[in-house]
Amino acid sequence: MSCSPFDLRDYYFKELAENERRLTEVHVKTCAGCREELDRLRGVEAGLLLLPDEEIPQRIGFISDPVFEPSALRRAWAAFWGSAARLGFASAAMLSAALIVFSVTHPAPLAKTPAPAPAVSTAALEANFSARMHQAVAAAVAASEARQAQETQKLLAAADRRHTVETQAMMERVAEYLEVEKKHLNTLILASNDAATREDAR
Amino acid sequence: MILRAVEDADLIRKARRGDVEAYNLLISRWERRVYNYLQRIVNNREDALDLSQDVFLKAYQNLRKLEDPARFAPWLYRIAHNEAYSLFRKRRPEGEAEELQPETMEGSPTVGGNAVFPVELTLAVSVALLKLTADQRETVILKIYQGFKFEEIAEIVSAPVSTVKSRLYTALELLKAELAPVQAPRGAGAAPPYGGGTPL
Repeated sequence: MSCSPFDLRDYYFKELAENERRLTEVHVKTCAGCREELDRLRGVEAGLLLLPDEEIPQRIGFISDPVFEPSALRRAWAAFWGSAARLGFASAAMLSAALIVFSVTHPAPLAKTPAPAPAVSTAALEANFSARMHQAVAAAVAASEARQAQETQKLLAAADRRHTVETQAMMERVAEYLEVEKKHLNTLILASNDAATREDAR
Repeated sequence: MILRAVEDADLIRKARRGDVEAYNLLISRWERRVYNYLQRIVNNREDALDLSQDVFLKAYQNLRKLEDPARFAPWLYRIAHNEAYSLFRKRRPEGEAEELQPETMEGSPTVGGNAVFPVELTLAVSVALLKLTADQRETVILKIYQGFKFEEIAEIVSAPVSTVKSRLYTALELLKAELAPVQAPRGAGAAPPYGGGTPL
């Protein structure tokens, strides 16, 4: 296991960032173990590089034959569809065209505006309004008065009935009272007569 | 660093407009590397040549889909990767693509009829590579022989960078054990082509 601050193999393959590389370099100068590890990596690489590159047995090449070459129109067409930016522009253009066609073939419904009022004079309007107002107020007042009269009639009738009943009840009580008093007086008269009779008798 | 009068990006732009000669020039810059990548993956020269032709044909047909010409190398190798694995699937529908046998040494690199490298050493390396899984082998090839960065390899094989690293480092441990008895003197072979996929 390497004691290097960063992966020694990354350092060997020059895959470290600059500051990491410097730190590892300083460490390697003072660490015999890491130097040995680097030597081993060099040895493996040198061994692999014993296998040399070979020449290609047959050169590869294409012939420029106008028969097989795409036409200028076809190249332009292919170039157009091969470009993302152009495709995006084409899409935006088609969308715009579709919106225009749609807006032409499907016009927006007109907003329904109220019909203009016939030209009448303000005075006539005010007179008309005033007359209607008066009529309405008069009708409301009449209805209210009628309701009030009806209510009053009802209340008076109820009061009369209550008064009659109370008077009748009071008269009955007075009659009863007079009757009682009359009986009491008779009793007193009889008692007085008896007493006089007894006085006379004595 | 190799300076070119015409950059790959210029050739790609011309090829997109139908300039076949520009595309042929682009092929000449990349065919050797693509062929060797495929040859080491499929371990068969004929297949590697056929696949290379297919790769460049497909690349030409899809050149307009390449959004960033600066990313041509990983894009091209991604096509090569797909072609190679498509061949694996055709040959072995079960998906077992790892049991490859080393080719005969008749086709070993020679100069003037003499082997450039000792046969035993190159054979040992070939055999050691074939003991790796297909994924490990491809990662070693893309890193050691083709000099791609981890991010580029991840793009080519369509795997996370962490997976790519894991495959490579596991493969190197295995290779260390396999190659220990035949370890070559340091500096043998070509210098590693690190530097962002510059074609030879």
